[in-house]
Order: sequence, then structure tokens, then C-alpha cells
Amino acid sequence: MTIITAYSAKELPGAVTDLEAQCGGFEPRCVLFFASSRYNPLELSRQMQAAFPGALVAGCSTAGEIACGKMVSQSVAAMFLDEEVVGQSAFAVVEHLRDGVRVSDAFTQMERQLCAPVSSLDIERYVGLVLADGLSGAEEALMEKIGDRTDIFFVGGSAGDDLKFESTHVMIGGEVYSNAALLVLLELKRGFDIVKTQSFQSTGKRLMPTKVDERLRLVVEFDDRPALDAYAQVLGVSPEKAPDLFMQHPLGLMVNGDPFVRSPQRVRDRGIVFYCQIKQGLELDVLQATDIVAHTRQAIEARKGDSKAISGIVDFQCILRTLQLRAENRCEEYGAIFTGIPTAGFSTYGEAYLGHMNQTSTMLILR
Amino acid sequence: MAGQIKSLIDTIIEKRSQGSSVLMLTTRAKFYLKGVDPDRYDRLSSDDPAVIARIKEIGAELGVTL
Repeated sequence: MTIITAYSAKELPGAVTDLEAQCGGFEPRCVLFFASSRYNPLELSRQMQAAFPGALVAGCSTAGEIACGKMVSQSVAAMFLDEEVVGQSAFAVVEHLRDGVRVSDAFTQMERQLCAPVSSLDIERYVGLVLADGLSGAEEALMEKIGDRTDIFFVGGSAGDDLKFESTHVMIGGEVYSNAALLVLLELKRGFDIVKTQSFQSTGKRLMPTKVDERLRLVVEFDDRPALDAYAQVLGVSPEKAPDLFMQHPLGLMVNGDPFVRSPQRVRDRGIVFYCQIKQGLELDVLQATDIVAHTRQAIEARKGDSKAISGIVDFQCILRTLQLRAENRCEEYGAIFTGIPTAGFSTYGEAYLGHMNQTSTMLILR
Repeated sequence: MAGQIKSLIDTIIEKRSQGSSVLMLTTRAKFYLKGVDPDRYDRLSSDDPAVIARIKEIGAELGVTL
């Protein structure tokens, strides 16, 4: 066996002992863990690294966990990858995100660990993982700077804290960080794919952001009108009713026909605050929600048809999708999509692939 | 004059992607995410100085020498 997934709802240190027991002597080269914010992050990080001393051990706090075909909460979920899956690895922490994102030093550190420039790495063999503080508000700048620096694909999500919105954490090597992002480079010997799936289709209606405050993720005006009024009108409802439709009708930046979802969060002085930055002058499609389970199943099935089998999936799923699945009582159905595939992941405060987005699952497919 | 914006965008995408069709798509995505629709301009688009300046900035951010 080359990939194992496990989870535990026990208290520390029992949770880590439980995960070790579920590994049954398996010696991982890399451990990814995703943990409820109820766990003390420093204790958890230290205990996880101590339990798997030979491995790169990285994780974050969550708004819910995914493991072993189940959507769970108040737990630690983990994926263990051995040397048949993972070759070289490197990591770095980008700190002080709110003061301005700088990734140069992080990449220099990773290059030292790999003894090679990142520009020389085969983009079909190396993948990047990114776990960011979900309350930093800096994910857009982070992904932009990473994308400027390298063409290696980085996938991941924003750490959560069980919907408390107080503090989130990323963890590596027995340490814990806030206001920071963890970058991990992995050589995946058997290859990989990345899936970005969001269960929406365009309504054909569009809105042009004509006045925005990017730092606040605020759209003041669409089409030179108060954002709330313009959004409500395009949906054919009163401005008072419009917030009730936020989950069903986010907006999409259409890139090569594929939406990068921007989800409205709340109204502010007739403007709309989003969970994502909106760029002024770039038209957005008004989206309509479709079936999360059907769409996600379709996305996974499409990958199963490829030449190499899927040996594992890391699922960075938006908390808004999780909340919708819980409301529809379809968590079990969602989990069943991954039957027979070792899967671990978590409910995020934002997803990462090329950029930052919402109401999406970004997934690392391990071949 | 016209067409300079499209020419600059195409050059940046070509140089950054170095013939890879995958990297062409991701570089185009990076333009969108930086706030520029690469499909908005063609060889007849007027040479707006502010847009040209922004495109050149994006080129520098992506490490492309123009």
C-alpha cells in the first residue's frame, strides 16, 4: 500500500496515537493532516511530527474534514504517502501575509532543499501544495506571486476554524503559524492531475464591476449603479431579497469558458462584499447553482477514464459547498463519490488553483 | 495606430509558455486573474496607453522581456 487515509475524533494525544495505529507500521515520506480548530494547533503539530519523524508533516486547521469516504467534523483527517508516491520534497512558510506578500525567500529556501532551481523542475512531475491562513485576506496576492514565480501547479486551500472566524493555523515540522501560508513542493513519481470543479452554470447575464475596493473585497458599483441594486435587478428581485440568493447565484470570472467563482458574502452600504477580490473592469457572469454531487462525480469519473489509475485524492472543498451538502442532507452521497479511492481533505475558507476562488473543490489527483 | 495591445499580449503568452499548449492556457488564465481579458483586444484595437502600460507591467511580473 502506498497511500493510506485515516481520521480520529479522539482528544490529544489519543488522536495521534489512533492515526498511528491506523497506519499499522506504514512508513510515510509525507503526511498531510487537516484538523478541527478544537485541537491545540501547536500540540497537534508537535505530536504529529514526533509520531512520524522521518516524514514531511504538514497540515492546517479546518471548517470540517474529509476522510475515508466521509465528511466529518471535530476530527483530524490525514493522508500518508510513502516513497513509492513521493520522491523529493521541500517546504517553506511565507509569513506576515497581511503586511504584503513576498514569496522570493520561500522559493529560495525550497531551491536549497531541492538543490535545484524551481525553474528546472518538470511541471508534470512536481506539484505545489498551498495552505494559507483563511483570515489573512491575502490569498489572491499569494497565488498571483506564486504564479509569477513559477509554472509549477500549486493547488490547495485556505485554513478554517469551524466557522468561528477568529484564528486559523497552518502547521509544518512541529511548528504552527498564523498570518502565513505554507508552500510544499512534492515530486510525485507516478504523476498527478488537478481538478477544479464548481457546480454552477452561467445564466448568460453579466455584471461589470465599475467601482471596487480590492483590499476590502468590496464591489461598490456594478454597471455604474450601487452593486446591490444592479445584482438584484439582474436576478429580477428586490434589493432586500437579493442576499437570500447569494449562495445560489455567485458570480464567475470566465476563464477559457470555465468559471472562477466569486461568492457574495454580505451587503455593505448598498455595495457587496465578496469572499474574493473582484477586479474592476472585468465582466463577470451571473451563475446558477447546479447539482454538487452529480457534477463532482462527473469530474472524478472523467479522470478515472484516463490511462493511469487514481491512487488517492486530496480534496480542498469550500465550506459553502459543505454547508449546502449538510442542508440538503447529501454529505453521505458526496462521500460515496470517493468510494474505493483513498481521499482526505477539508472544508476550506477558499480554494487555490492558479488563483483564489470560492464555492469550488480543488483536488490533487494522485496517480 | 492599432493592434499593439494584442501584439504585446501574444508575445508575453508565447514567451512564457515556450510552445507548451498547457502553459498557454495557464498564462492566459493569469492575465484574467490579473484583471486583463486577453480576448478583448485584436489587431484593430486602439493603442490605449494606460492598457499598454498595464500589459507591460504584467510582462515584467511574469518575467518576460519585451
